[in-house]
Amino acid sequence: MKESDFKRVTPYIHEIPKSFRDDMRVPARFYADGALLETALGDKSLEQLVNTATLPGVVKYALAMPDIHQGYGFPIGGVIATELPHGIISPGGVGYDINCGVRLLASHLSYEEVQPYLDTLASALQANCPSGVGRGGEVKLSMRELDKLVTEGSQWALKNGYATEMDLERTEENGRLDGADPGKVSDRAKKRGIDQVGTLGAGNHFIEVDRVDEIFDEQAAQRMGLFPDQIVVQIHCGSRGFGHQVCTDYVNLFQKVVHKYGIHLPDRELVCAPLSSPEGQDYLAAMKAAANYAFVNRQVLTFLIRRSFAEALRGKVHKTTIYQVYDIAHNMAKIETHEVDGRLVEVCVHRKGATRAFGPGSPVLPDVYRDIGQPVLVPGSMGTASWVLLGTEGSMAQSFGSTCHGAGRVMSRNQAKRSIRGSELRDELEKSGIRVRAGSMAGLAEEAPAAYKDVDRVIEVVHGAGIAKKVVRIVPVAVVKG
Amino acid sequence: MTCSGFEIIDHTADWALRVTGNDLRELLYNAAMGMNRLMVADVTAIPQTHTRQVTLSAYDAESLLVVWLSELAYFAEMEQLVFPVIELQEVSVQSVTAVLRGGHAPELQKHIKAVTYHNLQISQTAQGLEVTIVFDV
Repeated sequence: MKESDFKRVTPYIHEIPKSFRDDMRVPARFYADGALLETALGDKSLEQLVNTATLPGVVKYALAMPDIHQGYGFPIGGVIATELPHGIISPGGVGYDINCGVRLLASHLSYEEVQPYLDTLASALQANCPSGVGRGGEVKLSMRELDKLVTEGSQWALKNGYATEMDLERTEENGRLDGADPGKVSDRAKKRGIDQVGTLGAGNHFIEVDRVDEIFDEQAAQRMGLFPDQIVVQIHCGSRGFGHQVCTDYVNLFQKVVHKYGIHLPDRELVCAPLSSPEGQDYLAAMKAAANYAFVNRQVLTFLIRRSFAEALRGKVHKTTIYQVYDIAHNMAKIETHEVDGRLVEVCVHRKGATRAFGPGSPVLPDVYRDIGQPVLVPGSMGTASWVLLGTEGSMAQSFGSTCHGAGRVMSRNQAKRSIRGSELRDELEKSGIRVRAGSMAGLAEEAPAAYKDVDRVIEVVHGAGIAKKVVRIVPVAVVKG
Repeated sequence: MTCSGFEIIDHTADWALRVTGNDLRELLYNAAMGMNRLMVADVTAIPQTHTRQVTLSAYDAESLLVVWLSELAYFAEMEQLVFPVIELQEVSVQSVTAVLRGGHAPELQKHIKAVTYHNLQISQTAQGLEVTIVFDV
């Protein structure tokens, strides 16, 4: 693809018309400035965006956020909505890490108060929060209990002492998707997930201690309990082996199912079935179980982070308690109602590396945020800034209540590993005052900031396009990863 | 392509392997060896202490490749088992039976979380079969 294939709708919206390829059912739109468009043309992500515009039942536009990068099937940063009842749901579209997401926790402490103990805090976080391959968690479950956990989501965590009522209120869907059915999940998925609750895993997942760097919306920041120089914590992880196996199982199963429904696809990873079909319903019930698993995973990690703060800081600072700001999913399919061509339509919104960003007044938001809009959490790459945004009327009108999810990769893992040494990167980060606790130096190199786009630029686009608005910028002071 | 029948190639977010083989049997074998290489730096250091017998079936040859590699990834994730010695006993387009010999890897340098179908197509070239497999890591 080339730049001339796009029509510039606004300075931040670039459209690929439906006529671009015969199999497109709707136009595709990419949120970007000129430089991000040029970067995206460097890999196959925009072709993948066009592929998503071919899916049965897709309405309005296939969308891509400015942090787009090449995935498999959907691009990472892709959003589509399919009209119910017969529009499709795609397991490959949701992706392997079902309900991968971000949680933001806030302390009552300033950076100055915590700074002398940052090393102790980083080590306590690493010791308490299991990470890396093959390290199990401390939550021991029977198969029966796991079934309960994935049915009840964060309610299970509340009953078992891992959560507070306020945590649940401030979690997308209150940490529980109704209709999860463990009977639609394979034994293998359960075996992979049974000892991974409350673990971070490997790859790009992390726990990060941050400092509030700049406030852009005083009133919204206050509502979220955020103040200048405050110590906050981000968790980025998902449904671990459980979710990966649910996706693997259904992508396999659907290889045959697509033919049954006469669906033709440009990429086998996009396999899907009508949501009204038994197969579509089965996947939805299994996906919800994995989503609930992920909510509990981040909730148990929250519990372990609270423990770490108490262990490392008790008696040294004025208060060690932590409260939740919000928790969002960025890999998920959700049944929602949106306006399409003047009609209210029930759709299945696939957000693959994109965040729900509901605007002010949405009835699904907790009381505390209903009048300002939904907090959106956008982690940057390791060592760089992250952002807290709000959903807007613009995101509701333009992007099915969705916005970006991160910085977006530009360099392959292999390239990053070749050009950056993990140990040197750690030294560099440490020199700039960021504590690093990583299980693998090679893994660290793959996640180097240079392998990603500039998150601030991504934020300028979503803010400028009106599909989110800036509230707070935070910068890292300690990173824990597998 | 190296003489080993696989090559690790770049993919923005994940890892990919290009694999060749004279026939499906060789393709499955080389793909497994390629995945071993992604997971452990020195495959020769893996002891031969464990044997597993697997029989797998799938919808077509591409699916078989995914199911086969997913099985090996599962052993690695659950038991840290890597199998440098693989005997493919029966191979058809829709099924494979194999005996795996290997042991615990001291450290897995790469956690293969899933094997994808992304643009997965086994193609016939003048040299035999060729396929590119993208992994989720």
